[in-house]
Amino acid sequence: MTQTLLAILPFVVPLAGAVIALLLRDNLRLQSLWALGAMLTALILSSFLLFMVASAGQPLVFQMGAWPAPFGISIVADLLSATMAVMVQVVFLFGFIYALGSKDKATHYPTFYPLFLTLCAGLTGGMLTGDIFNLFVMVELIVISGTVLTAISDDRYGAEAAYKYFMINVFGTFCLLFGIGALYIGYGTLNMADLARHIAARPNEPILFAGVVFLTITFMIKSAIVPFHFWQPDFHTAAPTPVSAMLSSVVVKLGVYMFFRMTTLIVPHMTWLHGLLIVAGIVGIIFGGFGATGTHNAKRMFAYSTLAQIGFILVGIGWGTPLSLAAALIFTVNHALIKSAMLMLSGYLASRAPVKSASFSVIKGTGKYAPFAGVLFFLGGMALAGLPPMNGFISKLTLFRSGVVASQAGPLSETSFWLPLALLGVSSIMTLVYVFRALMKIWWEPFEPDNAGDKMKARGDLLVAPAGLIALCLLFGLWGGPLVNLAQDTTAWISTPEKYVQAVMKESLSSHVAWPVGEK
Amino acid sequence: MEIISALAIGALFGLGIYQLLRRNVIRSAIGMVIISNAVNLFLLSIGAYNGVVESYAKAIGQRSDALPQALILTAIVISLGGFSFVLATLFVISTRYRTGDSDEIRGLTN
Repeated sequence: MTQTLLAILPFVVPLAGAVIALLLRDNLRLQSLWALGAMLTALILSSFLLFMVASAGQPLVFQMGAWPAPFGISIVADLLSATMAVMVQVVFLFGFIYALGSKDKATHYPTFYPLFLTLCAGLTGGMLTGDIFNLFVMVELIVISGTVLTAISDDRYGAEAAYKYFMINVFGTFCLLFGIGALYIGYGTLNMADLARHIAARPNEPILFAGVVFLTITFMIKSAIVPFHFWQPDFHTAAPTPVSAMLSSVVVKLGVYMFFRMTTLIVPHMTWLHGLLIVAGIVGIIFGGFGATGTHNAKRMFAYSTLAQIGFILVGIGWGTPLSLAAALIFTVNHALIKSAMLMLSGYLASRAPVKSASFSVIKGTGKYAPFAGVLFFLGGMALAGLPPMNGFISKLTLFRSGVVASQAGPLSETSFWLPLALLGVSSIMTLVYVFRALMKIWWEPFEPDNAGDKMKARGDLLVAPAGLIALCLLFGLWGGPLVNLAQDTTAWISTPEKYVQAVMKESLSSHVAWPVGEK
Repeated sequence: MEIISALAIGALFGLGIYQLLRRNVIRSAIGMVIISNAVNLFLLSIGAYNGVVESYAKAIGQRSDALPQALILTAIVISLGGFSFVLATLFVISTRYRTGDSDEIRGLTN
C-alpha cells in the first residue's frame, strides 16, 4: 500500500503545493520559493517512482479508495508513464527556475506560481492516470491553467491568444467526452486496462470506431497536429516566456503520450490509425518547416518548429515497430529539453531588447551584447537541427535507422517508409536553414534599433535555466546510452499490453467480481 | 425515445458549432455552452453497462446506472468554471481591444 502510494504522489504534491501557495499570496518571495520546493519534491518523487518501476519490472498501480480496478480510478505508473512524468517535471523545474529569475510582470502575479503548479499537476496526472474520465479532468486542468497563464501575459494580445486557445481546446475536451461516452456504451468501462481487455475480446462494436475518431480528434487538438494546429503559433508566441517554454515542449506531449497508448494498448488492431499518424506527421513536418522559415518572430519560429518536431514523433509512432517506438520516445524526451531551452533563450533576448518583443526586427543584432546566450543558442540550434554531438542527433539517428530497418520487414508497405524517410531528410535541412537564419540575424547583423538612441537593457532574465537545459542536451548527446536503453525497455513493456492489463486488473480477475468478457 | 434524444443531441451540437463559428465573440462563448449541454445530454443517454441498464429509471423500482450521472455532474462543474472564465476573458477583450468582432481582433500575425 505505501509503495503503491508512490504512483499518485508526483501529481498530488504539486496540486497540494498549489493550494498552499495560494494561501501564501501576500508574500510573493515566500510563495515562489514554496512553489519551487514543491516542484523539486515532486521531481524527486517521480524520479524515485521511475527507479522503482524500472527495478520492480512491473507497473505500479494505485487504486483510489482501494476499490478494485474497473470500479475505482486506477493510477498506473508503467515505464512509459513514469518516463514521461520525469521528463515533464524536469522541464517544469527549469521553468520554475526561469520564472524566478524572470523580469516579466506576469510572474509577479500572486496566481502565477499556483497556476504553474496546477499545469504541472494536470500534465503529470494525465500521464499517470489509467482511467479515461480522470484523463478528461486532468486535460481540463491543463487547459484552464494554461489559458489563465497566457491571459495574464505582458503581451497586449495575450487575451486574444488565450481566448482562441480556450475555445478550440474546450471543443477538444468535449470531443473527448463524446469519445468516452461512446466507449462506455460499447464496453461499459472507463478503465484503460479493462477497456483494452474488452476491445480485444469484441473488436467489432459499431460505436468503437466513432469513439476512437473522437479520441483521435481530441489528442490531435491537444498536440496541435495538422489539421488542428492553427491556434498553436499564436498561443505559444503570446504566452509569458516561462509558460510558452512549457507549453511548446511538454504540454503538447500529452496527445503524443495518448497516441502511444492508443496504438499499443487501447486499439492496437486499428491499422488506419497508424496510417493517419504517418500522413498527419509528414504534413506537419512540411507545414511546420515552411511556417518556421517564413516567420518574423523568434518565439513564433520555435512554435512552428514544434509542429515539425511533433510530426517526426508521430511518424515514429505510426511506423509502430519496436525500434521506431523507442526512437519516437527518445525524440519526445530530447525535443522537450531542446525546445524549452530555445524558447527561454528567445525570451531572454526579448527581455534584453529595448522593446519587449521577440520579433526579429527588434532583437536583430542584440546578440552582440549577449555572447553567452549566443553560445547556448548555437548549441541548441545544432540540437534542433540534429547535428552531433547534441541529443537531437541521437533522436534523429535512431528514427532514421528504425525506418530503414523496418522498411525491409514491416507491417506496412514499403512506400510508407521511403517516402517519409526522404521527407524527413529534406525537413531536417529546413530546420538547419531556419535555425541558422535566426542565429545570423541575431548575432551577425548590426544592432539598429527603430529609435536611434535606444539601448539594450543591462540586465534581463537569468540564463541559469536555459544553460542547465542545454547542458542536459549536451549530456544526452554525448552519453545517450541510458536514455536509449530506457526507451528500448519501455518499448518492450508497451509492446506487451497483457502485462499492463494484468497488473491493473489482478484483483478483479482473480475474485468473483470479474466481469464477463465477450458477452452482451 | 432514443430517436428523439439522438435528434436533440445532433441539433444542439450543430447549433453549438454554428454559434461557435460566428464572428461575435459573445455568440461563440454561448456556442460553447450549447455544445457542453449537447455532451451532457449525450452522456445521460449513453445508458450503462453494454447499454442494458439506463442511467435514468423509467419505472418505479428499476435500477439505474449512476456512473453517467457522476460524469455529467463533473462535466457540468468543469464547463461552469470554463464559461465563467470565458466571460472574464470577454470582458478583457472588450475593454482592451474595444471590439467584439473576432475578425477585428487580429493582433497576432507573424
